[in-house]
Amino acid sequence: MDSLLEFAKGPLFRFSFAVMILGLIRVFILSLINGFEAKSKAKDKVIPKNFVTKLTLGFILPIRAFRVKPVYSFISILFHIGLLLTPILLFDHALLFDNSIGFSWLNISLSGTIASNLTLFTISAGILLIILRISDKKSRFISRKQDFLWPLLLLVPFITGYVCGNVVISPLTYKTFLTIHILSGDLIFILIPLTKIAHCVLLPISQWITARAWKFVPEAGENIEKILGKEGQKL
Amino acid sequence: MVAEKIKTKQKSTVKIPEMKYNIEKTPDSDRVTQFLNIFAAILKESNYRAALDQYTKVSAKCARCTTVCHVYHATQDVRDIPCYRSELLLSVYRRYFSFEGSLYARIFGGFELTEEHISKMQYSFWNCTACRKCLLECPSGIDHGLITHLTRYILSEMKLTPRALVISTREQLFGLTENTSAIPLIALKNSIEFLEEELFEAFGVNIKFPLDVEDAEYIFFAPVSDYLMEAETLMGIATVLHTAGVSWTIGSKYFDAINYGLFYSDLVLGRVLNKMEEEVKRLRAKKVLIGECGHATRSATFLKTFWHGDDNPEIVNILQLTHKLVMEGKIKIDPDKIKEKVTYHDPCNIARQNWIVKEPREILKSFCRNYVEMYPGGADNYCCGGGSGLVSIDEIRKYRTTIAGQKKAEQIQQTGAHYIVAPCANCKKQIRETLTDNNLDGELIGLHDLILKAIVIKGAKQDG
Repeated sequence: MDSLLEFAKGPLFRFSFAVMILGLIRVFILSLINGFEAKSKAKDKVIPKNFVTKLTLGFILPIRAFRVKPVYSFISILFHIGLLLTPILLFDHALLFDNSIGFSWLNISLSGTIASNLTLFTISAGILLIILRISDKKSRFISRKQDFLWPLLLLVPFITGYVCGNVVISPLTYKTFLTIHILSGDLIFILIPLTKIAHCVLLPISQWITARAWKFVPEAGENIEKILGKEGQKL
Repeated sequence: MVAEKIKTKQKSTVKIPEMKYNIEKTPDSDRVTQFLNIFAAILKESNYRAALDQYTKVSAKCARCTTVCHVYHATQDVRDIPCYRSELLLSVYRRYFSFEGSLYARIFGGFELTEEHISKMQYSFWNCTACRKCLLECPSGIDHGLITHLTRYILSEMKLTPRALVISTREQLFGLTENTSAIPLIALKNSIEFLEEELFEAFGVNIKFPLDVEDAEYIFFAPVSDYLMEAETLMGIATVLHTAGVSWTIGSKYFDAINYGLFYSDLVLGRVLNKMEEEVKRLRAKKVLIGECGHATRSATFLKTFWHGDDNPEIVNILQLTHKLVMEGKIKIDPDKIKEKVTYHDPCNIARQNWIVKEPREILKSFCRNYVEMYPGGADNYCCGGGSGLVSIDEIRKYRTTIAGQKKAEQIQQTGAHYIVAPCANCKKQIRETLTDNNLDGELIGLHDLILKAIVIKGAKQDG
């Protein structure tokens, strides 16, 4: 158990964290390249900047979120805040970063009580989101496997983390929970850039990409006809 | 009351009218290979890959789009969820054209494109009216209207496009009349003469529809069906331009603003715009003026893309020009003429991005004392139900007017307006049919039809 724990919070943590950071940089850069390539191929390069900015900021901030589905939006926002703040700002995590990569933010980290409450909020919001996804026929119908599995997976480190920090348990159980906590965290890091969670870096450029895609390549239509061997054909 | 009745009827019944349009002939080759080849060619040459790549990575499946889709509201059929519809194409992209997806498929298997999947796409993407209202609510920034446009483009290369649209486009591009309504030039001239006579009879003033005037400020392209169905709109436009002394012309070689390419094919979009370009260059007009039509105006903005050279003309919609003339005081409209309650329907193609929203309202408010807003309106408006070419498919009229147009019917009823102003050829036909099929009160009218009733013309007969 001890060696697994050491492995999970040592080399595996460093590896998975690197996969996440490099993976997210990769998807972000690829999307940027796609967008700029579209810009260079298009003749008309002017996009509706105000519209793009309004929608982009509207959902990142999130000003537009409450226009429809206000309850779902509120829970979702709470979940996102918890997901972002707790793992990053928790004192123990800052310490982990300090030990692993020699850099951290110990002086601005969250105290135990705030972190515990935030964890409880996040767990509750996560459970509610799963219930809403399963109970609503529309959400259920369009959901893929990852849409059901992600909230479940995200709850594992939160629940185990809460137990380790707040519940009096035997040292062996503590170590087991801690190992699961760190292993699930490592798994999450690895999966982030490969799944829909990549939206954490891609969202700010989604509207820009859409606007770019609407700017067509002048000769594309005729070239496609040539590739398909339909040159000169009438409709 | 009536709106409630429709709503109750829709909710209590499970029977949705057939939404099966006719195509010219069923292709006999291997459709799966055909689909993938076309998709590959389009991805290679166009800019769609950027969007598809992004969408497959960010789609969170939150179902927010269901809250604003007028088609889903009416059918309550999960297959009409915009995000589900888009996933039909995104799943093909992910499996066959993305690195991660094809790698995953090789190891674990999973989704494969089938004949059945193509049939599903064939009809599903024509249930969507490409109004793009769901874009405003998608936190992931997915434009389902863009996906609808692209899928229809792929399907059009397989000859899976509603026949009504193909026949019109073929006439426009390769026919003798070179317009979607197949109006010969002689008939256009007769129609114009008739309209001029009507205007003279009404006002005692010679108001002309100038034909083939070179070096005019504006070359005017109306959705050509207006010459058959919307005489009042055209007379209103001619009267406004005459009164303000605007230099304008109609081209005799090409005079159709309709461009179904925006609905289903970039190839058609470009080819139609090249015809427009030729006519603009022939008459050396400075600006392009588009009549009352949403899609025609938006598709004309692509002239910048398809124009040969960098001297592409400015695109002006008639609402923008009339607004400018009203604000500058170059035309006067009598505020005592229209006493009935008036409301305004925003055509999606000019309103969704908040482009031409305030202009028509300011014009209407300048002479309609009893103006009421439709809710929601402006950029948040609901589609008339006939958008993206659906209105031209007569065999699905019942679907259009009772399902796709249900939301609009409810909105109109809520305003209680007598005049419903819709400055778009598509919306006009669709809303008229919706009013008839649902036994609703109200008169559908163009903005310039209403202006014609109240415009002050110098030297006109008193009772004009």
